[in-house]
Amino acid sequence: MLTFRKSDLQTMIDHCTAGLPNEACGMLAGKAGKVEKIYCMKNAKPGPDFYEMDAEEQFRVMKDIRDAGLEMVGMFHSHPTGQAYPSSVDVEKAYWPGTQLPNYPDAVYVIISFMDRAKPVARGFSIEEGKVDEVRLSMP
Amino acid sequence: MSIKVRIPTPLQKLSNGKAEVECSAKNITELLDALEKDYPGMKERLSEGGKVRRFINIYVNEEDIRFVNKEETALKDGDSISIVPAIAGGCGLLWNAESENRRKR
Ligand SMILES: [Zn+2]
Repeated sequence: MLTFRKSDLQTMIDHCTAGLPNEACGMLAGKAGKVEKIYCMKNAKPGPDFYEMDAEEQFRVMKDIRDAGLEMVGMFHSHPTGQAYPSSVDVEKAYWPGTQLPNYPDAVYVIISFMDRAKPVARGFSIEEGKVDEVRLSMP
Repeated sequence: MSIKVRIPTPLQKLSNGKAEVECSAKNITELLDALEKDYPGMKERLSEGGKVRRFINIYVNEEDIRFVNKEETALKDGDSISIVPAIAGGCGLLWNAESENRRKR
């Protein structure tokens, strides 16, 4: 389970909406499955079907997270026209190239679908060795 | 000469579970060989035909080697190397080699 505030979800939705029609992305920092900070980030390879974090920004954000004594509990990206489920590209890119070893085994991949633009849908997933499992997103 | 290398989680099986190792090298190419000598299999995971794999970012201290001198980026005693897998993906509806090439242009 990944817990965050309603306002955090709105922050992610706003960032992804601003990025439409392209995909948008960001990182979630926190502790023990609880999100404490959202990083809205740049899509370095923007397309309606692809995202890649800017390498420099990714490095800087990961350092910022460590320095704050937090962990990277997850990341988020949008599917402007696809459903809120990891695509084959998402799964492939979650693994070290040429393997099925997850790059960030403890991170939750949050995907926000804009199939219905008026009602974006967010779901969370863990991508582990060879399998995708849904992780419940909780907003108390 | 000692250089610290942070090993990312998916490669820690190769480094016997160690998250940080030390080695000696004058540049990234030598570093790949030095890692391979101590931890067989590491070079192939990190590079292909002598080039660092796409979607793998290597930093010397805080500098991305892509913006320094790539595989020839010089190393010195006390440097700290981070190996960071890129975070990427997509809905994949249109994604293929062609659309990636288009983006590069
Ligand atoms: Zn995706």
